[in-house]
Amino acid sequence: MNARIIGTAALTAGLAFGLVGCGSGDDKTSNAVAGKASSAASSMSGSPAASQPFGPACSSVPSSGKGSFAGMAEDPVATAASNNPALSTLVTAVKKAGLVDTLNSAPALTVFAPTNDAFAKIPKKTLDAVLADKKKLTDILTYHVVPGKQAPAALDNGSFKSLQGGTVTTMGSGTSYKVNDTANVVCGNVQTRNATVYIIDTVLMPK
Amino acid sequence: MTVMRDEGTRPGPLIAALSGVLAGAVALGVAELAAALVRPQAAPLIAVGGAGIDRTPEWLKDFAIRTFGTHDKQVLLGGLLAGAIVLAALLGLLGRFRRVPAAAGLALFGLVGAIAALTRPDAGPADALPTVIGTVAGIAALLLLLRHGAEESDGTGRRAFLATAGGAVAVAAVGGIGGRLLAGRKSVGRLRADVRLPAPAKPAPPLPAGADLRVPGLTPFTTANSGFYRVDTALVLPQVDPAAWTLRVHGLVDRPFEITFDELLRRPLEEHDITLTCVSNEVGGPYAGEARWLGFPLAALLREAGVRAGADQVFSRSTDGFTVSTPIEAVLDGRAALLAVGMNGEPLPVAHGFPARLVVPGLYGYVSATKWVTDLKISRFADDRAYWTKRDWADHAPIKTMARIDLPRAFAELKPGRVPVAGVAWAQHCGISAVQVRIDGGAWRDAKLAPVPNTDTWRQWFLEWDAAPGSHRIEARAVDGTGALQVEKRADPFPDGASGWQSTVVTVR
Repeated sequence: MNARIIGTAALTAGLAFGLVGCGSGDDKTSNAVAGKASSAASSMSGSPAASQPFGPACSSVPSSGKGSFAGMAEDPVATAASNNPALSTLVTAVKKAGLVDTLNSAPALTVFAPTNDAFAKIPKKTLDAVLADKKKLTDILTYHVVPGKQAPAALDNGSFKSLQGGTVTTMGSGTSYKVNDTANVVCGNVQTRNATVYIIDTVLMPK
Repeated sequence: MTVMRDEGTRPGPLIAALSGVLAGAVALGVAELAAALVRPQAAPLIAVGGAGIDRTPEWLKDFAIRTFGTHDKQVLLGGLLAGAIVLAALLGLLGRFRRVPAAAGLALFGLVGAIAALTRPDAGPADALPTVIGTVAGIAALLLLLRHGAEESDGTGRRAFLATAGGAVAVAAVGGIGGRLLAGRKSVGRLRADVRLPAPAKPAPPLPAGADLRVPGLTPFTTANSGFYRVDTALVLPQVDPAAWTLRVHGLVDRPFEITFDELLRRPLEEHDITLTCVSNEVGGPYAGEARWLGFPLAALLREAGVRAGADQVFSRSTDGFTVSTPIEAVLDGRAALLAVGMNGEPLPVAHGFPARLVVPGLYGYVSATKWVTDLKISRFADDRAYWTKRDWADHAPIKTMARIDLPRAFAELKPGRVPVAGVAWAQHCGISAVQVRIDGGAWRDAKLAPVPNTDTWRQWFLEWDAAPGSHRIEARAVDGTGALQVEKRADPFPDGASGWQSTVVTVR
């Protein structure tokens, strides 16, 4: 982005609205001219993450920008997911359920994040019905979230009480894990600012 | 010692790699010790890290600050150290076959470190010394270790190698630990403890009774110095001796001048309660804190210097070269903009800018809150660009009105019945006139507001909610002192601060 042009525009708009003053009203003035941070840099060398993401679908994650592993680690979990195109259905569902801030502000979570393909396995009629039922949607989504940042080793033979209340079980080792015996982890141990994410290929249903 | 110099004899790969790592450790340890004597910030890792920070892309730095919080610097230094170990091991392996290029490689890294040390904004020529001395020691250690390492693989010189390796470990440890201890002794902690702040000529009024609602789990009204958020770019906290500190006021002024710390303390100081907020704070985020600041009015300082027509910014610089541009009208419009020396009744903590910093109510820190400040240049936005604004953050960044929900916590599991919903809200320099809460998209209800000492602080709010079983969404929004409603539209922190109404989902069962 061209900093100077936008800077000048922001400055002009800012001065016009007296932005150093109080209650000068419409903050949208400055938002409207605001660009996004350029994220041109390549993947981070010497990443401080303790261990790397693993799984067959990890290779499809972009190597740079907000949707890359380094970029996702920059943002809290709901924001991070919104930068990964493969999770767009999940993000839509999270927004519909109004869970964005709660997911972002919880101190430490583990999220099992179904891909768009996982949602596509659900018959469209059923999916639409769930998306329209906020209570049911919230139940399903919070069933995919467990407290604490769970490292891969904790999933070897794991049993977790989800935020929905139901139990989520995990089984596996190394780079191969199953959740509730039905969903495969296709890209695991993805770090976001406040949550560890395991991307899965099947939507989990509360038991 | 038996000398068996056979050109065909080489150290084993492990021995060679170990030799490289030990030589690197000697270099860093000796450099650390030398740096403690010259200037702690001149240590090679610190210098390279600092240079790296300045060249890091904005999003990555933002990530580091947000991910590691106050630990971001340690993470960076740890990463650098790990990188140095790997490189040193590789040099050792190279040294199996070719010793001169291996030594030259070490010299090259020394050169990089020396250049980094020399090009730091606050560096003098002596800053290259620690790295140079360390590199020479490292090269000597490398050659010695490789020689004995070659003998070791013959089985004849194991003792000699072990002795040399042990010596290298000892030198590295003594240098590293001794250097740290020495640097610590030179730290300003003691000088800070000796500072006696004068009583304020204009004390802040006592906090109104009930400013703290004392709801368990709610953010306290006053943030303790130890718990105050820290977001800055300093790898090593600048150690500024107050006796040597001066503030220079210059630029577009009629009467440039300098003021010493003693002179500053002899002036009539004012005390104000002001809440600071960092621009990287997301909706619902933790980077806001309230303190009672003691300082001299910045506006009076500027008027002494006589601001010339055409100036539109105060361009401030910290002792470590960090720069901030503050719109001059914000400093001169009568708000409690301070050159602060005290925080919550004590001298500024070193992490918060000892001996002096700027505090300007109503503006995000990156455009107002310069710590370790030593230079105020009255200037024009068109002429001087500051650290973050050079990186595309906005020039004008008034703090956006925000209501934060502290209670209940995200995804809390609650029992049915009366549940406290509480938090803090801020609209610095405008004040908060209302906070409204709604449950599950229902009608907005006014929360009870705690009294506040002025409009520059955050305000605690509280509402009792009769919670029925089920999953519930709580939303909060604030109205500022002018009656303007908090902006609902979502915005990211970049480039001028996050906006949006926070919501939190809880379960009652």
